[in-house]
Amino acid sequence: MECNPAPEKFIVPIGPQHPALKEPGHFEFTVEGEVVTNATARLGFVHRGMEKGAEDRTWIQDLYLMERVCGICSHVHAMAFSLGVEKLAGVQAPPRAQAIRELVAELERIHSHMLWLGVAAHEGGFDTLFMLSWRDRETVMSLLETISGNRVNYSANVLGGVKIDISDKQADEIRKGMDFLEERSKHYLKVVTEDETFLGRTRNIGMMNKKQAELLGAIGPTGRASGVKRDVRVDSPYAGYTDFPVKMITNDAGDLEARFVVRIEELFESYRIIRELLDKMPKGELTVKVPRRIPEGEVISRVEAPRGELLYFMKSNGTDKPERIKVRTPSLCNWGSVLVTAIGHNLADMPMILAGIDPCFSCNDRIVTVNRKTDSTRMDWEDLRQYGIEYYK
Amino acid sequence: MDTEKALQLAESRLKEFAVSMNRPEENRLDVVIDRKELKAAVSALLAEKQWGYLAAITGLDNAAWKVDEATKEKSLDPSGGSLEVLYHFCEGAAVATLRVSLPYNDAKVDTVCDLISSVSLYEREAAELFGIEFVDTPNTDRLVLPDSWPEGVYPLRKSFTGFEKNAKG
Repeated sequence: MECNPAPEKFIVPIGPQHPALKEPGHFEFTVEGEVVTNATARLGFVHRGMEKGAEDRTWIQDLYLMERVCGICSHVHAMAFSLGVEKLAGVQAPPRAQAIRELVAELERIHSHMLWLGVAAHEGGFDTLFMLSWRDRETVMSLLETISGNRVNYSANVLGGVKIDISDKQADEIRKGMDFLEERSKHYLKVVTEDETFLGRTRNIGMMNKKQAELLGAIGPTGRASGVKRDVRVDSPYAGYTDFPVKMITNDAGDLEARFVVRIEELFESYRIIRELLDKMPKGELTVKVPRRIPEGEVISRVEAPRGELLYFMKSNGTDKPERIKVRTPSLCNWGSVLVTAIGHNLADMPMILAGIDPCFSCNDRIVTVNRKTDSTRMDWEDLRQYGIEYYK
Repeated sequence: MDTEKALQLAESRLKEFAVSMNRPEENRLDVVIDRKELKAAVSALLAEKQWGYLAAITGLDNAAWKVDEATKEKSLDPSGGSLEVLYHFCEGAAVATLRVSLPYNDAKVDTVCDLISSVSLYEREAAELFGIEFVDTPNTDRLVLPDSWPEGVYPLRKSFTGFEKNAKG
């Protein structure tokens, strides 16, 4: 066989099935030997056309549609949407509702960060940490189910407030849960900063300094782990965050380890604010009335999702249906940073670097095409609905 | 920097490019600019001490509608309307938006990728969903729509109301 002395270049496709997380995304890494020299992304495998769909539904229906943009951080979408609609309508949800919104948002952050901790540990080959953190995550999932009846789409928001209240008994359960999780998180913080084998996979890997992070538009914990001081909860407080402020957690190290540390330290801040919220929960109504037709106007609603800043641009044309809803989810901003930081690393580090930003695919993909060898059918919303009805008959 | 000061600073940097300016909300500044001025305006915001960061690019279809007198049915009026691209910059709680209006038959605007490398994904999204051409953008590959999606069909334009049933597959 002929031997080619020139350096070989290979393109390694990863995905769309299972690229680090159990969600679809396609990446092409160009490698020279083991070292990655270029990276590109193709998203959209779970694009569901929600922004278009929103224009066809009423504001109230859209609340439920938007809550389903993401299955991990469902509450922040519903909250950003409700806050925006309330601004357009010129009403403000009562203080108790705003505090409950913050409470659910922080519970959601805990569940999301713990989910990520498990996934990232799994990508690093540390399945014990994965199983333990997911076991403990059940605590917060049960709490969410206790207060809302749901584990995923809690549906806490309505336009003009919230539909769930926190009873004293539930508050005690939440406090107990926080005590347990705080102890566990202390342990996890110790593990991710002291365990030799794990540090081998995270320390000085996936480095991104502050300047790069700012240039690449990294946000949320990914950016804060590189010293970017941006957190919408602090910069532009919304809902309950004006009365119950949180502290911004940052770290200047900029490697994968810092991304672990920042997220775990954010957990402690969440436990603290949840206790404060439960102790000082304002009394009063849960909702105000919001008109069915929303006055004409444009509004920008920003909230801090577990993965970073979530931005909604909403335009009303004065009817009961929106003119345009634009959703910019945090994962979209952080992809850029992955594609650049990947370069120069070993291919074996790619799953960890991909998982390091806590990517959420459904977030940035919002028609279904069924492709078979013999026939190919495109199913639109009506067809899918009919298919569902027939299927479950 | 407090929000009001931040907005005043943005105002002073963008004044010379503005066709018009207004404050739609307390923490927001909207600046309408001509598409030729886009790069200069973005550079002015980012110059020296950078003002905020580009948080999102929103595409808008400001379609014109006409109402049939007899049937009261609303339909698109192809003679009017335009596309609009909104560049949202955030600095703390302050949001400055550059608004660029583009005609349907010549929906072209310069890329700002050379100024902010991370916007490539935003530009690709707007290009696919609205059919806006970002001149000189480095990557024009499909990002979110399926590979089998027909060329020249832009789903977020108001004129797109779904595929005909018989055109499926």
